[in-house]
Amino acid sequence: MSKSLPTPLEGVFRRVPGVRWRQQAERHLRVELSEAENLPALLALLKGEAGYRHLSAISCVDWPDADEFELVYHLDSYTTQVLISAHIRLPAAPGRYVSVSGLYRPAGFFERDIHEMFGVQFEGALDLRPFILTEWGGPPPMRKSFDTEGYVRDHYQWVDYGPEWLAELEKRGGGIVE
Amino acid sequence: MHPDHYRHTELPPSTEYELYFGPNHPGIEGNYALKARLAGDTVVALEADGGYLHRGFEKLMEQRLWIQNIALVPRICVPDPVPMEETYARAVETLGGLEVPERAQWLRMLVLEMSRLTAHLFYFGGHAATVGLYTNMFWGVSDRDRLLDCFEQLTGARVYHMYITPGGVRRDTPPGFLDSLSEVLDYVEGRLPKFDDLFFDNAVLVRRATGTGTMDQAFAIDYGVTGPNLRATGLAHDLRRDYPYLKYAEVEFDVITETAGDAYARTLVRRGEVIESLRILRQVIDKLRSVPGPIRCPLPNPLAWRIPAGDAYTRTESSKGELAYYIVSDGSAKPWRVHVRGPSQMHAVQTLEALCVGARIEDVAQIMFSLDACPPEVDR
Amino acid sequence: MPDYPIYRDPPEQCRTPDAEERSLWGRTLERIADHCRARSLFVLHYCTGCGAIELPPSMTSRFDLERVGMQPMVTPRQADLLLITGYLSVKTLKRVILTYEQMQGPKYVMGFGSCTINGGMYWNSYATVKRLDQYLPVDMYIAGCMPRPEAIQQAFLQLMEKIDSGRAQNWKEYYRRYDHYLGEQQALFGEQFHTPTDVIGEARHYSLFGPETLGEHTAKLAKYDLYHPGQGAVDALEVKR
Ligand code: SF4
Repeated sequence: MSKSLPTPLEGVFRRVPGVRWRQQAERHLRVELSEAENLPALLALLKGEAGYRHLSAISCVDWPDADEFELVYHLDSYTTQVLISAHIRLPAAPGRYVSVSGLYRPAGFFERDIHEMFGVQFEGALDLRPFILTEWGGPPPMRKSFDTEGYVRDHYQWVDYGPEWLAELEKRGGGIVE
Repeated sequence: MHPDHYRHTELPPSTEYELYFGPNHPGIEGNYALKARLAGDTVVALEADGGYLHRGFEKLMEQRLWIQNIALVPRICVPDPVPMEETYARAVETLGGLEVPERAQWLRMLVLEMSRLTAHLFYFGGHAATVGLYTNMFWGVSDRDRLLDCFEQLTGARVYHMYITPGGVRRDTPPGFLDSLSEVLDYVEGRLPKFDDLFFDNAVLVRRATGTGTMDQAFAIDYGVTGPNLRATGLAHDLRRDYPYLKYAEVEFDVITETAGDAYARTLVRRGEVIESLRILRQVIDKLRSVPGPIRCPLPNPLAWRIPAGDAYTRTESSKGELAYYIVSDGSAKPWRVHVRGPSQMHAVQTLEALCVGARIEDVAQIMFSLDACPPEVDR
Repeated sequence: MPDYPIYRDPPEQCRTPDAEERSLWGRTLERIADHCRARSLFVLHYCTGCGAIELPPSMTSRFDLERVGMQPMVTPRQADLLLITGYLSVKTLKRVILTYEQMQGPKYVMGFGSCTINGGMYWNSYATVKRLDQYLPVDMYIAGCMPRPEAIQQAFLQLMEKIDSGRAQNWKEYYRRYDHYLGEQQALFGEQFHTPTDVIGEARHYSLFGPETLGEHTAKLAKYDLYHPGQGAVDALEVKR
């Protein structure tokens, strides 16, 4: 734990229940919220009181073993200059969350992307129409359960490349060493 | 005379029409499409359509070893590939606790700034072409080629160098490289006054770019605009200075700003950044002449290389803005999740859509180029 | 060599080439035309993948392709050469096929980089197609990732030679074996895939109507035939013949 938390952050973190934070790197705080629904309140406070006006990114991570999606909101402030990554976990089953695009405009893009790639639904999002995968009929491709190699085998053809030297190398146990 | 299958239809009179702009269009940067609603030649609404360059990088990176991904990352942004390598490598180093030797850090800064120069020169050419100044395009591209030759000398490749590896760089400077690079830098600096005459002070550019695609600072911050585009609205924010990585804290450079926030201001900011890059490069060259040492830290067998579990978010100031990688490792030989946050994801979609409203159709290409939007970064 | 038969002799169903085409005169004309075609190639200005970044250097002052009579052209109607500069995502391939069909014959396709040959480094990506020649007839490939401007120039010179000597005839395959190509396209984009271009009509126009121009895949087009409503493209052609 770091000793020096910028003053506006102290107050903000205390006012939102279930916030745990630690210093992840120099000038980078990792914040974890035990209750996912508190996140919009945290973001509103951060934006309103600590000058966090820049949403750098929203990342989504699929954890199939826990049946959860992890959403990470990376925020930056042009004044405090401490990066904050706020982590929440959602159950994968409904895979729903609220949109923060009213608060942060860039969230519109990231939510659209996550909806497309992971199938997470965001309520109140600006636009959830497909953007990149408009010609796509399969499941959300970034989920761990989606097997891209299998999909490629079913849908495309390629000529196998197996020169002799490679076969020999493999016979000798070359390639990936575990 | 009508062909026999001609059928005449009566449509209600309309003043608005829809125009598809791209993907096959010379005014589009890369492979990207815009759908514009026009009234006369004024844009009423614009909708971006991406995904033409989608390769599923984030998925591919989960399928490959940490070391294999070095070959994949530069392909995410074609005109400015080096920051991609640096950001990825730094994330892996943060996770794996690797210490980059000092000389390697200077070498990385060298290629990063060279890449910024190439990207900006390319940008001058591209922006000039959208206002009809084709000579400038030829100049920008051929001057960039001189830097590509330096890249070739150093790394063996022109465009995708794969020079930065986690833990250091791939090879040291060949003999005589620093001198030939200095010559090229002098050459580029000597070209700038000519660029001024032909491009920056050209009445065509000044008239067409002034007041085109204007955004104010509040808008820019709201829309997540970063990099030179943000600095063109007067906010001096530069990750190289504000969150220094590598040895940026030890070199002297200014953060260039403009206040107008229009296409012309964005171009001027980049012109200033070329000068600053030259300044940084000269300091780096001086350092490289004196700093000895290894160029990479010892790595385990790369084929069985495991990175400790954890996550890292690293950011780099690329020529287009804030570039970030979010990498999660589960302790295995491959990344668990890699998320690429490219600056163009903000610039090319929502910002472009908003800035083009009210612009004339011939300025749409100019606005897109002046934002330096890079479609492969949006699509990944 | 492709692993399918190439029809060098006109099949029987096809209109027999008339005396003019077989005559020395006709062939000489064609020979002269090829000679000229090779010397003024217009390249369609379409950047489909990362290889496109090496085109500006090749086109501008340093390598200067205008020396050999090549120029970028903005519309497919007036272009001779379609460069597939790298990987093709499924979404782009659709546009590329539309574009290719809009180009007028004789037309040539060149694949840039390993991605077009066999998937390249995206061999296991769900979004990109692996082999370009499955969907379009390709005249020449350039190996490399990415090919250098020198390689690009070399390839262009070889293509010119190929055109000059009359060996660049792959575009005719698209008409002669349209059913095959359409089948591959339909397998990727779905049964309902169709383009506004009347390829079958063009095949007839160019007298390139082969036994494989029509088939089970083109039969699915019948309901989209705008020019002969109710009749279907296939039927219309049958009737005329
Ligand atoms: S072959 Fe290489 S350079 Fe060309 S498109 Fe593929 S990855 Fe890019």
